[in-house]
Amino acid sequence: MIAIDHVSQIFQTSSRKDHLALSDISLIVEDGAFVSILGPSGCGKSTLLYIVGGFVNPSQGAARMKGKPITGPGPDRGPVFQEFALFPWKTVLGNVMYGPRQQGVKTAEAEAQSRVLIEMVGLKGFEDFYPKELSGGMKQRVALARTLAYHPEVLLMDEPFGALDAHTRTRLQNDLLNIWERDRKTVLFVTHSVDEAVFLSDKVVMMTRSPGRIREIIDIDLPRPRRRTELLLDSRYQKYVVDIERMFDDGGEAELPR
Amino acid sequence: MISGSSLVARAAPLLACLGLLAIWQVGSLAMNNESVPTALEALRAVPSIMGDKESLINILASLRRMAIGFGIAVLLSIPLGLLMGRNRFVASFFNPLLMVTYPVPKAALMPIIMLWIGVGDLSKTLVIFLGVSLPVIYHSFEGAKAVEEKMLWSGAAMGMSAAERMVRIVLPAALPEILTGCRTGLVLALITMVTSEMIARQSGAGNILFNALDMGQYDTVFAMIIVIGAMGICFDALFEMLRARLVRWSEPQFDMPLSFS
Repeated sequence: MIAIDHVSQIFQTSSRKDHLALSDISLIVEDGAFVSILGPSGCGKSTLLYIVGGFVNPSQGAARMKGKPITGPGPDRGPVFQEFALFPWKTVLGNVMYGPRQQGVKTAEAEAQSRVLIEMVGLKGFEDFYPKELSGGMKQRVALARTLAYHPEVLLMDEPFGALDAHTRTRLQNDLLNIWERDRKTVLFVTHSVDEAVFLSDKVVMMTRSPGRIREIIDIDLPRPRRRTELLLDSRYQKYVVDIERMFDDGGEAELPR
Repeated sequence: MISGSSLVARAAPLLACLGLLAIWQVGSLAMNNESVPTALEALRAVPSIMGDKESLINILASLRRMAIGFGIAVLLSIPLGLLMGRNRFVASFFNPLLMVTYPVPKAALMPIIMLWIGVGDLSKTLVIFLGVSLPVIYHSFEGAKAVEEKMLWSGAAMGMSAAERMVRIVLPAALPEILTGCRTGLVLALITMVTSEMIARQSGAGNILFNALDMGQYDTVFAMIIVIGAMGICFDALFEMLRARLVRWSEPQFDMPLSFS
């Protein structure tokens, strides 16, 4: 369980003014839940994820993982970034093996596990490719496998499909859900796309425009496993999407978060 | 199958050298000046230098100093540059020092260094060391500064300590930039090697050159210039081969990335 407790974040802008990025956020993420943080760009949703990751220290408040305060990054929380952040000097296999090797897993064993993961994310045959030789979607698949390889309890996904074209994005959303169905890790997923949030999540946390506050938490009560083609025709799915888009519309404080 | 145009591209460096020699030959014949030997005369003097035991000892002594100065400079400069790139305090401490010393021609320090530690190997090696250090520090600094924050975060999430991230993420990620600095450093090492011997005449390739100049042996002077130039080309080519091997992952290999999600 992740508990975010009255977290606020203040940044200094380049003109030395204080900028309130997050204001008094409290949120509980249950084990095994797929929770999306949805908000317009600049609302501080990524910052919130970085605080849970331990990459950024909150100005006020605290985040806890299983009751213990988060003081820094750790292998229990695995990030996947929009920028992929792969190690360009390592091959696909080398990237995926990196975490397990770091954890002290023997080379042969790490390699065997990594090959399984690479196949799971659909990159069998690309083990010896370097990141520069891959498309954006393939890079994000490698990044996901690299993070899964060290068995984090929580996946922290920071707009992971934000840099991809619509078609690739859809494929990766489907594949992510399929992979997630296997072990249902806790996922904290930052996005600005309403359909992505509704399609993937058990719970959607809507944030306001800067300074980011939690505006509404919506439980998405749709059956799993979810199939995109079925959901698109499902009136409940459509209603969630329309309701959330309306809420962003009439709030006056945020544009349609697209 | 080698196409005609790629054959031309491969032969281009050779053609450039031959062209330069041809212009030299024609120019020197036209000038008809004793201090400008023809290209052929200079080339003819090359084997006599390379065949002379004393000259060879001199050249090898030069190369040894160059190798030591270059090696130590690289070993110390890379860690310093990387630290500067990742730590604001270290950067703000060393940056002004670098900015002050960078534009100073290192060989110009030679007379002072000679006063302090004599005209021997140590002072010349020190000057080479100084000449190589700055570009290597500078490029390591820039390379380390440019390392993507999220890459370091990814490493931290795997449980890597700050020191491990420095060695296993910052160093390889900055390697292309570091090697660019080393390549500049290698050329500067050769330049400072010769100029240091111009000022502290005792042994070395520069010594042969400037002694010959004093004695009016202009064919030897130009032959030595050819020898030094050839060494430069060889070192650079060898280093480039090494560099290309080490950072193959960073060079564009395909015109287009594979397209499939």
